[in-house]
Amino acid sequence: MLNALIFIALPYAALALLLVVTPLRFCSRRLTWSAYSTQFLERKLLYWGINPWHFGILPILIAHVFAFAFPGLMKGFLGNQTTLLILESLGLALGLFALLGIVLLLLRRANSGMLKQVTFSSDWLLLFLLAFQAGTGVYIGCFMRWGSQWYLYTAVPYLWSIVSFNPQLGYVADFPLVFKLHAACAFLIVALLPFTKLVHMLYLPIDFVKDPPILYRWRSRGNL
Amino acid sequence: MDVRAQIVMVFNLDKCIGCHTCSISCKNIWTDRKGAEYMWWNNVETKPGVGYPKQWENQQRFKGGFVVDGKKLRLKAMGKGPTLLNMFFQPNMPKIEDYYEPFDFDYGNLAGAKDSDDQPVARAFSQISGDDIDEIQGGPNWDDDLSGSQIYAAKDMNLQDKQVVDQYDTMFMQYLPRICNHCLNPACVASCPSRALYKRGEDGIVLVDQNVCKGWRFCTSACPYKKVYFNWQSGKAEKCIFCYPRVESGQCNACAHSCVGRIRYVGVLLYDADGVEASLTGSDDQLVDAQRAHILDPRDPKVQEGARKNGITEQWLEAAVKSPVYTLVKEFGIALPLHPEFRTMPMAYYIPSLSPVLSVFGETHKLLEHGMIPALEKLRVPIGYLASLLAGGNHQVIEKALRKLIALRVFMRGENLGAPVDAAVLSDAGMDRASALKLYRLFTLAGYNERNVIPAQQREDQDPEKRKQQAGFGILEKTRRAK
Repeated sequence: MLNALIFIALPYAALALLLVVTPLRFCSRRLTWSAYSTQFLERKLLYWGINPWHFGILPILIAHVFAFAFPGLMKGFLGNQTTLLILESLGLALGLFALLGIVLLLLRRANSGMLKQVTFSSDWLLLFLLAFQAGTGVYIGCFMRWGSQWYLYTAVPYLWSIVSFNPQLGYVADFPLVFKLHAACAFLIVALLPFTKLVHMLYLPIDFVKDPPILYRWRSRGNL
Repeated sequence: MDVRAQIVMVFNLDKCIGCHTCSISCKNIWTDRKGAEYMWWNNVETKPGVGYPKQWENQQRFKGGFVVDGKKLRLKAMGKGPTLLNMFFQPNMPKIEDYYEPFDFDYGNLAGAKDSDDQPVARAFSQISGDDIDEIQGGPNWDDDLSGSQIYAAKDMNLQDKQVVDQYDTMFMQYLPRICNHCLNPACVASCPSRALYKRGEDGIVLVDQNVCKGWRFCTSACPYKKVYFNWQSGKAEKCIFCYPRVESGQCNACAHSCVGRIRYVGVLLYDADGVEASLTGSDDQLVDAQRAHILDPRDPKVQEGARKNGITEQWLEAAVKSPVYTLVKEFGIALPLHPEFRTMPMAYYIPSLSPVLSVFGETHKLLEHGMIPALEKLRVPIGYLASLLAGGNHQVIEKALRKLIALRVFMRGENLGAPVDAAVLSDAGMDRASALKLYRLFTLAGYNERNVIPAQQREDQDPEKRKQQAGFGILEKTRRAK
């Protein structure tokens, strides 16, 4: 029952919300598409929170997604014991880095009078979920070693079975609870993404990189 | 030659009395709302002083504007790569304390307090956190009229000799009203990773598209004038919009319209958009001349032809010919850009002020030694100070402008007293009788329509029947029944 909830109901609900609500929000409420920075009101703790968080979690997130997308490539890459060891250590270090960051961000929200005015329940929800996610991730990294290896043979085929609409719970059903919570929380975060300020991660400044520095808009050319 | 039009404001600093009426009219219309309490799109600061936000001219700290890198310009703060790496925490962004913590007073308590032996008071509270403030630490004009000059005026970046502020008889003071400069090479636009900031092609007004802005905050520090603000509630950048809803319909900006001293002039400049960046790569003291070289003569048939080719309408061309701004900036060369060395080519210009009125008492100001109108060499405002503020350190540019202003005064004094002065007074300063009278008229008698020559946007030839229903007030997001 728990397995069916976490590994079938949740991922499909999350996927549906992500695919339907995100474009809806982009088209109808684009004004809300922002990271809602609070640096203006508090910057000392933010520096030590937000940098470790982003620089820790981004490589880890990319590694998760990359291994899902190209499992064959990763299998070959991790076949070498030295590479596996280095990657595993690096992953754990980045995970701890991110955990430190998100905990600081949580404490920061709780301790600043000015920030109370710009902190909403969705912010708390996200902070707790992300902290929980980073915490369970670090726990798995410590106590269920070689995750970068077994992830390829368990979670990845399971995720592929989800996206091919043929869910195979056999790959993941016998894992300990902490792994299941990590997966459940991940799906929950994906489900919340289109409703919260997390959407900010879905915009990459590509135009900025390729455009000339000064941008003009002309009424006569219809782009105003 | 790529002829474009820019709507420009000129400030006559000699006439600014620092009454802040402009700031209040701007505040009432645009920034009297949550998240924007601390913003003053138009502000007036006392110079010498640290200004608003404090020390905004200090680019060592805020890293605003452009610097020359070889033969090219680059943003002083960082290039595109580092921008991407600094998105999470923007190291140069000003914080709320650099402006001030906005406050209000609990006026409701004056009428609503319970019966008591004590007189009820209106306590100050923070407009951000809502908490009581026991002692207000700062405000938008904390150093107004040189208050606390040892602390504030002494820190003015333009003041070479800090001891000037110690002595009452060497002290000087002037006001500096500031809006967004709507630069030709805006650093805020160049720094925006979301590409939300843009310059309007038709009139050069620089705006933030609120729908596109992601709140990445690079503009707030890239603008060397600190005229892009961060709305702490909406999480987006905001700035002076040059009152475009008014200007588009040919009306004057709220700040300029409400100006008590009539110090502001609004009009059109035609400029050459080719090679703006290249001309900003010279040394600091060449920048005023380089900037003037980009401003084109609207009477020149070649310029007019180029303007028509670029879609500039006849009404705009006519306004450019009549523009008081062209007269002051290019024809007379007395209106100068604020801090051209920030290399954004700012499009707000300032006529430098003469010194305070001379006192006739005491040893300090020997009137006869000066003559009735002070000689350039005897001005109390150090030329170096004005040069640092308005000319990238170039003394000649300031002296040339001041010479004209002084000559005009001497000339008009003679005219009014029935004792005309020698023609050399004017010709030495590069003027003649006709131009002096023209300048005199613009400074003193010119009415609203002479000070502000603002052509409306030509909507008539842009499908007016379709636009008719889109104008005016309305609800942006459609209700369910709207089709």
